[in-house]
Amino acid sequence: MMKELIATVKQNQLIAENIYSMTLTLPEGVGQIRGGQFLNLSVGDKVHLLKRPLGICKVEGDDVTVCYQLKGEGTRLLSQKVKGDKLSVLLPLGNGFILPQTAKNVAVIGGGVGVFPLISVIREHFGKVNFHSYIGFRNKDAVCLMEELEKSTTLTVTTDDGSVGIKGNAVSAYFADENKVKADLIIACGPPIMLKVLKQKLAEAGDKTPCLVSLEERMGCGIGACLVCVCKTTSGGNTRVCKDGPVFEIGEVEL
Amino acid sequence: MANLSVEICGVKFKNPLIAASGTYGFGREFDEIYDISQIGGISTKGLTLEPRLGNPVPRIAESSSVILNAVGLQNPGVEHFIKHDLPWLKEKGVVVIANVAGRTLEDYEGICKRLNGLVDMVELNISCPNVRAGGMALGIRPENIEEVTVLTKKQLTKTPLIVKLSPNVESIVTNAKAAERGGADCISLINTLTGMVIDIEKRKPVIANNTGGVSGAGIKPIAVRMVYEASHAVNIPVIGMGGIMTGEDAIEFMMAGASAVQVGTANFYDVNAMPKIINQMDSWLNKHNIKSVNEIVKTATLNG
Repeated sequence: MMKELIATVKQNQLIAENIYSMTLTLPEGVGQIRGGQFLNLSVGDKVHLLKRPLGICKVEGDDVTVCYQLKGEGTRLLSQKVKGDKLSVLLPLGNGFILPQTAKNVAVIGGGVGVFPLISVIREHFGKVNFHSYIGFRNKDAVCLMEELEKSTTLTVTTDDGSVGIKGNAVSAYFADENKVKADLIIACGPPIMLKVLKQKLAEAGDKTPCLVSLEERMGCGIGACLVCVCKTTSGGNTRVCKDGPVFEIGEVEL
Repeated sequence: MANLSVEICGVKFKNPLIAASGTYGFGREFDEIYDISQIGGISTKGLTLEPRLGNPVPRIAESSSVILNAVGLQNPGVEHFIKHDLPWLKEKGVVVIANVAGRTLEDYEGICKRLNGLVDMVELNISCPNVRAGGMALGIRPENIEEVTVLTKKQLTKTPLIVKLSPNVESIVTNAKAAERGGADCISLINTLTGMVIDIEKRKPVIANNTGGVSGAGIKPIAVRMVYEASHAVNIPVIGMGGIMTGEDAIEFMMAGASAVQVGTANFYDVNAMPKIINQMDSWLNKHNIKSVNEIVKTATLNG
């Protein structure tokens, strides 16, 4: 159930170059949080009126963990928060990744900060679904959360410069994998260009595997009221990333 | 418990808090978080005769104590609103103010004709480009404001008309008087100020539309000044808005001359902002032994 709460920072630490992990303790439960849902987090002052939408990475009881990259003033302020600080948070938001009951083998394609919401999906279905993950980072300094990613049944890591894993990116690693298990579903999150290339390559390969992608956009309210964070649909309309998404069927949205 | 109810143009509000257009949709999303019947009224997302897709993204940016938006009037069109949202809103028991926009004077006449008698009030959004006036914004020149007010008022035989004024003008007093002369039953102000935020790494504006409407706490002193000036220049009620974040802010606007207020950007800062502001107003009035919120309207006096 969607609630605005005053959460307490439990930990906030640097986990890779420019990447922080923050765990927030909620004062009360919000019901089930689905993998791929997000929260809208205040940076804790009266000067920044917009909350920051961040994909939920981990849920442990009333503790939720988000990871974020230093991008601007808002994330810089977040990075300075210490244990015990209070932050206003609105959650859970968005649809998240809804896996069909029949899904047994799921391919996970993640790039950069897009990896974080995918981790919550792997954790949610751990032991019930086989996850075959293809995860791309920029270089060895950007690699993080390997202990979570290793919960996958199989894991392929790539870096742009080859400093860890295979040289290349997550999408090319997925298509290059000759031994890959036939997936019932692909779930993906990453930079816009990654998702665009994924869509093109699936089309070129005639691969009809259902594919869900999670999108990012600058948001206002986070609950679907203000129509700020829209994405174009292939049927010629607009859809709200915060409320109708952030997860969409890849064929449903313009990438 | 102070009496928070107000009456504007014969329309009764349970309290003077109205959700500002564009920040609250048609109320459904906020109703998932709190019962929206707690608030006085809703000014709907800006409606046009036909559905509109709006501007490209990004549509929003932030600067100290303010935000900028350029949504570009994305809306499902007035017919969709009448069929799908209006019946639901009416059941909620909040005052329904249809915020309307158009490209031409004919658009404004058409949409007002369609909404006449269906909603509690109509609020004219007149900061959109107008073809007939040669590309000038309809809401900037007093003669244009008067013309669109006269034409829409003719259509609104059963529904009070609010004219929402832009602050991006030479004289707010002149424009407020123009709306009154044209037959407006009420004026609301201020709409957003036009602004720009540049991403210095990309050397380009953050918002795809380049410019956006500035709103939020940072614009409040400008809004209070304009509400004061406008409300002291006309004899019709004024609805004030611009950066209201707390009950004290709302009280300030009412002392400046507003009979009711609208809350917009605060809904993004805190999803529960409106119920909180209502409680804060009540506390302030109780603390000052004021029985009815109407007693504070237009009571601020200038330094001698």
